[in-house]
Amino acid sequence: MNQTLDGRDRIVRTQGVGASVKRNEDKRLLNGQGEYLGDLQVPGMAEVAFLRSPVAHARIRGIEIPEAHKGSVFLASDIPFAKPIVAVSAAKGFNASDYPALVSDKVRFVGDLIAICIAPTRAEAEDIAQSCIVDFEDLPAVWDIDVATAAGAPKVHDHWADNVYVETRIETGDIAAVRAKAEVTVKRNLRMGRHAGVSLEGRGVLAHFNRRLDELTVYSSTQFPHVIRTIMATCLGVSEAKLRVIAPDVGGGFGPKNNFHPEELAVAALSMKLNRPLRWIEDRREHLIASPHAREHRYELTAYADSKGKILGLEAVVVVDAGAYSVWPWTAAMEAGMSAGIMTGPYDIPVYHARAISVATNKSPLGPYRGVGRSGACFAIETLVDAVAREVKREPADVRIENMVPLEAMPYRSATHKYYDSGDYPTCAQMARDAVDLPGIRARQAKPSPDGKLIGFGMASYTEQSAHGTAEWVARGLPVVFGYEPALARFTPDGKLILFVGIQNHGQGLETTLAQVAHEELGIPVADVIVRHGDSSVSPYGMGTFASRSMTMAGGAVSIACGQLAEKILRIGAHLLQAPKDAVTLRDGKVFFGQQSVSFAQIGEAAFLHPERLPEGEEPALEANAVYQPGRSTGAFSYATHACVVTVDPGTGHVEILDYVVCHDCGTMVNPMIVEAQVVGGVAQGLGTALYEEIPYDDNGQPLASTFLDYMIPGATEVPDVRVLHMETPSPHTRFGIKGMGEGGAIAPPAVIINAINDALKPLGAEIGETPATPDRILDAILAVKPAGAAA
Amino acid sequence: MKPANFTYHRATSVEDAVAALADTSQMSRVLAGGQSLVPMLNLRLAPVDTLIDLSRVASLKTVDEQSSAIRYGALTTHAAFEDGRVPDGSNGLMPYVGTQIAYRAVRTRGTIGGAVALADPAADWLTTIIALEADVIAIGANGRRTIAAGEFAIGPYMTALQDGELIEAIAVPRRPASERWGHEKMARKTGEYAESMAIALIDRNRKTARVVLGAADGAPIVLAETARAVAGGQTDDSLASVIRTELVASGRDFAPAKLLMHSTVILRAVKKAAAKQ
Amino acid sequence: MKTTVSATINGVAQTFEVEPRTSLADVLREQMRLTATHLGCEHGVCGACTVLIDGQPARSCIALAVTLDGAAITTLEGLADDPLMQTLKASFHDQHGLQCGFCTPGMLMSGWDLLKRKPDIQGQDIRVAMSGNLCRCTGYQGIVRSIEKAAQTAKGQVSQTKGAAA
Repeated sequence: MNQTLDGRDRIVRTQGVGASVKRNEDKRLLNGQGEYLGDLQVPGMAEVAFLRSPVAHARIRGIEIPEAHKGSVFLASDIPFAKPIVAVSAAKGFNASDYPALVSDKVRFVGDLIAICIAPTRAEAEDIAQSCIVDFEDLPAVWDIDVATAAGAPKVHDHWADNVYVETRIETGDIAAVRAKAEVTVKRNLRMGRHAGVSLEGRGVLAHFNRRLDELTVYSSTQFPHVIRTIMATCLGVSEAKLRVIAPDVGGGFGPKNNFHPEELAVAALSMKLNRPLRWIEDRREHLIASPHAREHRYELTAYADSKGKILGLEAVVVVDAGAYSVWPWTAAMEAGMSAGIMTGPYDIPVYHARAISVATNKSPLGPYRGVGRSGACFAIETLVDAVAREVKREPADVRIENMVPLEAMPYRSATHKYYDSGDYPTCAQMARDAVDLPGIRARQAKPSPDGKLIGFGMASYTEQSAHGTAEWVARGLPVVFGYEPALARFTPDGKLILFVGIQNHGQGLETTLAQVAHEELGIPVADVIVRHGDSSVSPYGMGTFASRSMTMAGGAVSIACGQLAEKILRIGAHLLQAPKDAVTLRDGKVFFGQQSVSFAQIGEAAFLHPERLPEGEEPALEANAVYQPGRSTGAFSYATHACVVTVDPGTGHVEILDYVVCHDCGTMVNPMIVEAQVVGGVAQGLGTALYEEIPYDDNGQPLASTFLDYMIPGATEVPDVRVLHMETPSPHTRFGIKGMGEGGAIAPPAVIINAINDALKPLGAEIGETPATPDRILDAILAVKPAGAAA
Repeated sequence: MKPANFTYHRATSVEDAVAALADTSQMSRVLAGGQSLVPMLNLRLAPVDTLIDLSRVASLKTVDEQSSAIRYGALTTHAAFEDGRVPDGSNGLMPYVGTQIAYRAVRTRGTIGGAVALADPAADWLTTIIALEADVIAIGANGRRTIAAGEFAIGPYMTALQDGELIEAIAVPRRPASERWGHEKMARKTGEYAESMAIALIDRNRKTARVVLGAADGAPIVLAETARAVAGGQTDDSLASVIRTELVASGRDFAPAKLLMHSTVILRAVKKAAAKQ
Repeated sequence: MKTTVSATINGVAQTFEVEPRTSLADVLREQMRLTATHLGCEHGVCGACTVLIDGQPARSCIALAVTLDGAAITTLEGLADDPLMQTLKASFHDQHGLQCGFCTPGMLMSGWDLLKRKPDIQGQDIRVAMSGNLCRCTGYQGIVRSIEKAAQTAKGQVSQTKGAAA
């Protein structure tokens, strides 16, 4: 990419914004030299195993610790100074609750933390945990939304009036009028199953006291170390100045590592009290039962449309099982609120009434997971759009595209008060549709298939608010307003550049893409740029990596800081070359004046070691600090359409994906190779939601999937070769026109897969409205309309 | 996720293993490839006081080719079948099944004896050896005995092995060269345990058929009526009706979706075998 | 009760004390400090802990170290100088076959074994053969591409070597 991006005079680049540069971070990871939480050891360290509740809901009458293990088991009473985590939404009527480091009175889900057991090895720590006996007074388990909301239901939090964290409403336009004039009314009830985030590395914490610095150092496998320091300091009652939080290499995040966890607080508090290094490594069973869960949405939807399928108004009730506690900082209201708040998606639906209800149950708390809220919203609206199309007997692709916000309506304010900054949704959808040859599929469907399998086409679109800043987070009423991102760009005297940033790279390639931004501004080779992140004592205070924000936000900050350095380097370089400043240029890590040049190493040497060589009045040193906020803080809206072709085997319920296309637009792409891989990775996770992943609970509140033997994530044969088509509509409000990306791939798959399955099942008159679409559920849907015995 | 402590006994011979296993004062288990047992230990779901490691018992790794059968030592790995490193008398069915079990890094260590002894209803070898009318050779303090594969599994994870017995070998009869097999496995993911699995053996020359359903919520089911219908040349809808009737009569109380899935899988296994004639 | 075990680890004879319950993975990681071998599930499903035991790929999380007396263990660190592994790593870099890097050592070990056994493998067969290694980041596309390209590169290298020898 050789053209300049925003009109500024810049150097021709092969490694800058837009180049598919290979990643700087690969080398250590390929050599097995990444350093993840579990790879860390500190002398004198003890291993932690938590004693977790084996029951869903009970009062603790007593805890019996064997004599031999007294001194190795620690209860809430041993860390009384650790204040509970409290995550309260500013939404009116939000019911607050404490999430303590260790529970003392009552357990509220299977996996709730009761005690910390420490030993030289994890195996011994587990022995100790197993030897403790807790005397429980069992309470009825609130194991399901219907149980939680039934009259007279047992209460998860005793001091509440019911089991509802909060109910919020959106009421835009006159729904009664739309109801009266609609020619077609389509209702659907849908469900999205509860699952886990399943980073391949679980969570983990290592805390130890640094005597020399008089500070507690806490390593955590987290997506936002600075913010963890803030809340941890509050909960521990210490100054942030006496606390250092480090995220080492993090083996995948996806949201579950984007909360402040009671495990982090418990380990830090006990390490502080004992003055002993402690390490906890989450195992897979702990992850599946007790890390913050994902999804579990229920939808009651009504679309009011005209006879062509144009949707005039929409009513939605979104109910989310938010589990036992409100997670910090997102609160228990986030998932339902975000789903209801983006429900109309890419569609021009002027009238919209919604209720978003977050219910407390005896399950692991619900937290953010790739696609937060929007996977459910997309699943809901897109399943409904297909149902409307079937009702008016038209091609779903046509109905979908006709309902979209047209290009000429941009920027567009949605019925949910979102400001869509730019984009061409209909063209995106058409490109995805055309890539899978819809007429060809319809022709194939018209003929009987030789193997009895049913072919189906599905499509789903979404718009994704990304890189949202101050206004959006204030509107959501969270305890922290994630409005900006900093960067400190610092040259070394030998001419290399180190970028200190507040985001946290855990697979997104930010050690490369931020270097590309530096290259864009400075012409420095990407390989000469080091990105430092994940350490609260190293980088300026930043918000971390989540909400598809890091490239837009930290990229903007790096750009500004490096732009400032570029000016200074040009001044110094011109001076050293004895040339006029406007006659010199930056290229390949050098300043050029005609054929003459000085290297960044020479400039670094002058700036740091030989101030006498600097121009008159030029300050020594070569570093710049910048903080970036996008021009509009309501977000840059990425969007996409996914289209797929599946076969459904009516004899076994097995779904095979024959083709999967994504057409997406995340504004200016910094590194298309990385963008594409993020899309594909997101799709794989979305296919997990759509077809495989679920943690059902029984009526005792016991999770029924707690190992990889009963919890399936997609493997190499379950994910097709995804074809990715790119559109680039730069955001008018961000540096380089970058929009956020990363989560998006995971948003549409549940919708597109369910639509494709229902398209396949259409000749049978069967329909499914629940994820994951397991073979049993598909067969049940078929058997519901087809008498048993007629099949096979 | 670490195991509770146990003591370790490295068996030097079958007799040594049997002697160690005979101590009923404690909970002893034999360790073959460990691909199912060690996960259970890690999850603390399989209590054990003494683990008797069979891996050094050379006699359990031998394969004897006899005139009418091939006797596979219990420690023969899935990968040995997959790679064709052991002789085959099943017209290729066993090598094929060897490729279908879990994943390569499991197949290199998992063993046929260990898999059969666990009697996971959804596991591959159990259904296979029942279909092939193999014998399980068990050995214990009272000596050796032969258990017909069809009588070995008596329920999910329950077998005819008595306390103190272990599997020494699986003896698989050489199948007639004229026999053809069909194998159908419905799993949600590659390498996962089956949701349904069926093996059909058809011999047109001898006018015989044998059909076995696995992953059926208990021991694999030998479908005699279905086999008779297959041998008699029934196909498609009429055969589907026989299959369905036999499954309903099996007493397993299959949910409607499972009944449909199993019926489909059985029918497809039969079709695959028939297509090879 | 600890037991003494002697094994060759990455070509070096080692003797260590373990409880019978200790996995090979924990010995490698905690005692030998060979932390390329990662633990993603500890019950033999995810493949992140894949190593070679006597040359065969195996899950080190469900291999009890006590049973491995006399065995030869090879981890990713032990194949640092192996030409095929170097080709494979270069391909993972070129084809963007990794993101967070946690599954990567297991992918490389399984991929290496696969290319040793089936140097001509491609496409869907790679997917089936690699189905025992879970990745949560990449969606596998980059991994499959990396192995496929490495297979092509490795074949080129072999034929060059043969050509040179001839």
